[in-house]
Amino acid sequence: MAVDKQRALLFGGAAALRLLLFIAFPSLPDFLTGRVEISTPVTSFKRLQEGLFLYTRDVSPYDGGIFHQAPLLLPLFSFLPDPSTYPFATNLLYTVIDLLSANALLQIADTGISVSNLRFTSSRKELRWSSILIAATFLFNPFTVLTCIARPTSVFTNSAVFYAVAKAAAGFHISALISLAVASYLSLYPILLLPPLLLLAQDGLSRRKAQPVNTSSFVMNSVTTFSVACFSLLGISYLITDSSWEFISSTYGVQLLLPDLTPNVGLWWYFFIEMFDSFREFFLGVFWLHMASYMGGLTFRIHKQPLFAIICLLGIFAIFQPYPSIADTSLYLALLPLYRHVFPLMRYTFFAFATLLYASFLGPAFYYLWIYAGSGNANFFYAITLVWSLGLSVIVADSLYAVLRDEWEVERPEMKGKEVRQI
Amino acid sequence: MSLQSSILGLRRDPRLLKVPPYLSALCIIVGVVWLFLLPLNEYSRSTYVSENALLPGQVHTYFGGSEHNIFRAYRHEVAGLADKSIEERNQKLLEIFKSAGLKVATQKYEYQSAGKTTGGENVYAILQGPRADATEAIALVAAWTTMNGEINHSGVALVLTLARYFKRWSLWSKDLIFIISSDSTAGTQAWVDAYHNAHDPSHVESLPLKSGALQGALAIEYPAGPWGHRFDKIHIVYDGINGQLPNLDLINTAVSVSSQQIGISTCLQRMWKHGDSYEERLQTMLRGMINQGLGHASGPHSSFIPYHIDAITLQTVGDGWHDEMSLGRVVESLFRSLNNLLEHLHQSFFFYLLMQSNRFVSIGTYLPSAMLIAVNFTITSIGLWIKSGRPEKPATKIASTDSKPDSKPDMTIIKQNGMTALVPTATFSVVERRMFLPLAFVGAAHFLGILPLYLFNHAPANTLLPTFQTFAASSLALPLLTAFALSRFRPPTTQETVLIQCFSLLFLGLFLSALATLNFSLSLLIGLLAAPLTFIRRPSPSTTQSQPSSSAMRVLLSVAGLLLLAVLSPSGVVFAATKYWNTPLVDVLLRASFGWQVHGLWTQVVVWLVWWPAWFCGTVVMALGLF
Repeated sequence: MAVDKQRALLFGGAAALRLLLFIAFPSLPDFLTGRVEISTPVTSFKRLQEGLFLYTRDVSPYDGGIFHQAPLLLPLFSFLPDPSTYPFATNLLYTVIDLLSANALLQIADTGISVSNLRFTSSRKELRWSSILIAATFLFNPFTVLTCIARPTSVFTNSAVFYAVAKAAAGFHISALISLAVASYLSLYPILLLPPLLLLAQDGLSRRKAQPVNTSSFVMNSVTTFSVACFSLLGISYLITDSSWEFISSTYGVQLLLPDLTPNVGLWWYFFIEMFDSFREFFLGVFWLHMASYMGGLTFRIHKQPLFAIICLLGIFAIFQPYPSIADTSLYLALLPLYRHVFPLMRYTFFAFATLLYASFLGPAFYYLWIYAGSGNANFFYAITLVWSLGLSVIVADSLYAVLRDEWEVERPEMKGKEVRQI
Repeated sequence: MSLQSSILGLRRDPRLLKVPPYLSALCIIVGVVWLFLLPLNEYSRSTYVSENALLPGQVHTYFGGSEHNIFRAYRHEVAGLADKSIEERNQKLLEIFKSAGLKVATQKYEYQSAGKTTGGENVYAILQGPRADATEAIALVAAWTTMNGEINHSGVALVLTLARYFKRWSLWSKDLIFIISSDSTAGTQAWVDAYHNAHDPSHVESLPLKSGALQGALAIEYPAGPWGHRFDKIHIVYDGINGQLPNLDLINTAVSVSSQQIGISTCLQRMWKHGDSYEERLQTMLRGMINQGLGHASGPHSSFIPYHIDAITLQTVGDGWHDEMSLGRVVESLFRSLNNLLEHLHQSFFFYLLMQSNRFVSIGTYLPSAMLIAVNFTITSIGLWIKSGRPEKPATKIASTDSKPDSKPDMTIIKQNGMTALVPTATFSVVERRMFLPLAFVGAAHFLGILPLYLFNHAPANTLLPTFQTFAASSLALPLLTAFALSRFRPPTTQETVLIQCFSLLFLGLFLSALATLNFSLSLLIGLLAAPLTFIRRPSPSTTQSQPSSSAMRVLLSVAGLLLLAVLSPSGVVFAATKYWNTPLVDVLLRASFGWQVHGLWTQVVVWLVWWPAWFCGTVVMALGLF
């Protein structure tokens, strides 16, 4: 009962904060929508409005090359009143999406799968934050709040990923895979989460049924579900865009081939501006291969803790995606507190978080100098995105180290507290 | 290998924790010394014109001869308008512009700040360049009143004469805009805002007539009355709003045209006499830094700069033998140079400190000094973070666990588990940090800063001074009250106190280093004023020696520290600065409020949301020693 009260208080507070920001500062959403740190070409709310305008006038939304988002978002938003005149419905939708994400996060935390699953139980399992606190770090994270106010469509992807993980951890693998299919349909990159999610779902299912699951039939089953879900989403999209496959090249094609080089917090745009055209295809391949290659390695190495493999991959995607934004960072930082028990083993937390803080203040300052004041140039902003990525990668690497060390200490309890060196 | 292991061993050395304050002190000292080295020949450079298209002083100037008669006639017309109403005055100015064959328009504006209304009407005329396609323009501005409140007789007359004179030339490849603004700062702000459609239509009228993107702007202040006045030098004013500066090429062009082509020497930052000595260079630089740091509007040109329009004001100073025709030729030559531009000024520096009209240091040379001062906070913050993770000495540990009866028992058990199971030696362990109270405290302090920000920007003029006095008094008392309340209801542990300071310094260093890239001088000034915050520590309640002398010592230390911090509080510094420069405090407050409402001044945001919270946290930490 007390937990329910806390939860109501938390959700109420988070919703009130968001609605208050929406109502008290009416120009804030549009200002944040224009920030390149939050809105990317594939998630921007402004571009969604453009696509919506074309869609409601029976023109293909992908004409004009502005809109690069999944077609199914269009009917959803066309039901809502025009956000420039009646913004409340849209604001409410985004607030509710955030609360749903937090709810899924609460469910993940409640299963306790991060400290103990069938294959592995941490020796530090008493050291946990309560689920409410973990959800609070997500809901009151400034990055989450800013993302919500700026209304990019990445919040839908984030929510779908949260639900996929929550359902998998609870052992409902069908809904987990459908959720993941939605996330992949919206943003493509979550498809890389499939292998660790299968491991997690298998673990969850075995725990729910209290008996081991036949691996091969489980995998067959799940992959079929996933594919059916993906293809039916694509099929519906085909139908609503006047029976044309054009949307594939305008959405996933843009993610894969990077034709839009609008600055963002990631590492790709500057690199591909500088790139000679003859090398473009090669380096696109290299960049994608680099990002995708973590999937196999991490899933294999931390197969005992598939949830952490997912979290780690999300951290890597937040750095190495073609169009990352702080929405992806907020997703990663929301799941990280589930591993509160390995925080004492991390070595550079203060340094890494200070770096992120520095980057999040210097980034807008340098962007201002470049775009508005005209006294800086693109190198200023790119330098800061490098620092930002450095901070994030230190967190990813450090938390990975901590988890591996935690696993190792279970195997070799006598080594607890001894100094080790990574070679 | 052995070296590596000895370095690794050193990492755990408790003596290492003593290093950060010294390192911070070193950073501050190096930063300040660095600043004082800048005026030396080895560190500063001569200015040079980077943009080849400008070609300063390469054209003949023809302004003179019969134009002088026209100027004198206009000056008498202007003198006749001095006591007319603003409508009559502008009607006459419009007629004069029209008679020169220009398109004319007016713009009304009305600003509210501190319960007062500042209003007026701007007049402007557009000369369509014979070779221009209306995509680019240059502005020539003369405010009706100068920054000192005098009527800009000759300045306005000169703009009218030049408008008529420039109309005859066929070589303009940009449109020319002549603006007679109603006052020095608000009028130009209204005009520039409306030119870029960034105005609030309920206070500022939209412009009926526009041209292309402004490439540069030049303002003239020449308040000589109807009988004229020969001047000695041209004073170039270049500070923009929020410390943004125009491209150095514009200043270089003005200096080289004025001193080399026409032969009028130039001066900067009210340094009427400049003998090129070290002291004078340093003084010019420091005056420039204070102006930049305050970020206020220093002339009609200031409002242009935030819109990325390079602009300067030329003021005439002193008694000499240069007349209005020489000033007109300076303007003519400068306009010919700007007319040559093929693209926006971008070649030269946007970040510089001038120490003489032909000597400067660029950002690469001076930025390290502000960065070092900002970094000192971060270093101490990292040091404090590490210190907060080290286990406390047993004696104090017992004392601190005794003094917090409300701490949750389960947490203590975990901590002790960690201590016994995890740690072979005490130095190796990292204690759990309890971060909720410190984070909440520092966050609340930063939110509290919104209160003075709102108060000072919205209070009406007659209550500003009492508001300031009340605020100053209560902001001195507040840390003491907070420390008392904290120690009474929720005594913070040593670790929490250390963490409060750690986060507060981290934020301070963070904001200041971001600020150093936007407004170097402000960051440096606040960094220096906040420097003592690095070195204060909570005087430790040592329970091992319960001698009365040590407790008296502690109180004495706290009181001394608090007195120092009281002097260096934001309100204390504002008060002391107004006494030093002999300006009424009300004026400063009024101008700050006006700057916020009209110009979008950000200095007070930095003072109340960055400096004041850091000061507050530091003072509370110090005051905790009292209780």
